[in-house]
Amino acid sequence: MSAPRLAPHFFRHEYGRLVATLSRRLGVHHLEAVEDAVQSALMSALETWTVAGVPDNPSGWLFRVAHNGLVGELRQRTRRRRIVRENGSEPMGASEDAPEPFLAGEMQDDLLRMLFVCCDDGLPPESQLVLALKTLCGFDVREIALRLFSTEANVYKRLERARNRLREVPPSIDELTSEQYASRLPAVHKILYLLFTEGYLSSHAETAIRQELSDEAIRLASILAEHPVGEAPETSALLALMHLHAARITARQDASGGLILLEEQDRALWDQERIQLGLSWLADSARGEVFSRYHAEAGIAAEHSLAPSFAETRWEKIVECYELLEQVAPSALHKLNRAVAVAQWQGPAAGLALLEGFEPPSWLAGSYQWAAVLADLHRRCGHDHAARRYRDVAVNSAPTHAVRELLERRLQIGT
Amino acid sequence: MPKYLCMQRNLRTANGPKGEKPSPAQMQEMYAQFGAWQAKFKKNLVDMGGKLGEGRLVTSQPAADGPFVEVKELVGGYMIVSAENLDEAIEVARGCPGLVGPSSGVEVIEIHTP
Repeated sequence: MSAPRLAPHFFRHEYGRLVATLSRRLGVHHLEAVEDAVQSALMSALETWTVAGVPDNPSGWLFRVAHNGLVGELRQRTRRRRIVRENGSEPMGASEDAPEPFLAGEMQDDLLRMLFVCCDDGLPPESQLVLALKTLCGFDVREIALRLFSTEANVYKRLERARNRLREVPPSIDELTSEQYASRLPAVHKILYLLFTEGYLSSHAETAIRQELSDEAIRLASILAEHPVGEAPETSALLALMHLHAARITARQDASGGLILLEEQDRALWDQERIQLGLSWLADSARGEVFSRYHAEAGIAAEHSLAPSFAETRWEKIVECYELLEQVAPSALHKLNRAVAVAQWQGPAAGLALLEGFEPPSWLAGSYQWAAVLADLHRRCGHDHAARRYRDVAVNSAPTHAVRELLERRLQIGT
Repeated sequence: MPKYLCMQRNLRTANGPKGEKPSPAQMQEMYAQFGAWQAKFKKNLVDMGGKLGEGRLVTSQPAADGPFVEVKELVGGYMIVSAENLDEAIEVARGCPGLVGPSSGVEVIEIHTP
């Protein structure tokens, strides 16, 4: 018998679902044991299914195997402890031999719950992100390091910090209260946004790797948006922004992996169906009084998505969105982006005027983005000397080969 | 066609480096590779066999005191393939994902049938 195909990312997604479900049932302080049990169950599946075929209910099969393995392991630990203490109490009441049936709806609840567990405000956002990538997306330490441009040691350290924190969570208050769900929702948005932009904006050379992160963010945000705990205008705006960017991702690169500027992109490659999906989430986000940074960013993405051509873009609308974005989320990068939009709308001199006298923070001043925008605006104003100076800075600080190539092409000065 | 017994041998030494656990994404990859291998050698794969579990040595002698080296410590699992000759059987076994690697090898033995 040859093994039938499994859904793409089946193992990774089952990992996330099983870790979420089992750590709810047995307590998140057992997270490490849960992860080990799930890993072993997936290995058993790999060994068994390739020979005997895939069972009718693969998720149920995995759940049973992981659950039994975990209960066995925890029982053994208890027994060992009891021998040491000669104490007859049975602290493990939550688990039974026969697991309760495994419901599809419950899995979604568990995934979301785990997402909120990851967004513990006692943890720095980097640890939250690493924990979510490990437990919910099923990436291992090496894979996370590769995706976040970090070292394995660094990822491990962040993960350990998160695990130590979760071990302290007493099992009795394992269920999150509705107040906790509400208060952690902004952190959940932030993590999903971070996950998406890591994939979408990162300069990682491999498109497939980047897209995986963006897809994970969209998958989790979609579950969040459909669930009572996550239903909020910000969630809809976040999902709108993700779809509106993802719809255009394939047009950003040429066949050889080179980056393509927005004005050069073939708009016929944009996924119109996905743009519509993004727009409907954007419409949904407009209910109520809330205006978040996700609303502003989704608004900008929507303007680009709707413009029939680069020249016909409603730059005044985009400038307006950037102004709003700066109000809700002040950042020098947003100001820089606004200057670019103003230059398109009212000419390069107007763009430069906006940045006149503005002292960028050091993280931006040393970046290629800052130098590239100034080089471009000066070039278009005919200030060749300044343009050359900024161009050299931009090219030298380009993080990847593709970006450097793009800058050299775009920032040619004179003839 | 002659049949061959393929025994997976654990080459890992007790204090050698432990193999790293594959990540879920790698498992997905292994699963796909396994499927491709099975499809490629469909006509050769007679019995996919399996992992070896508990066992006991039965002899006419009274049982001596252990400890014995158990077969499953040496042999992880088995399968039976049919092939024209030993070389072809080796090719089939070598192609099996995960079978031949730093901590695992395979012994391919012809089964004589009367």
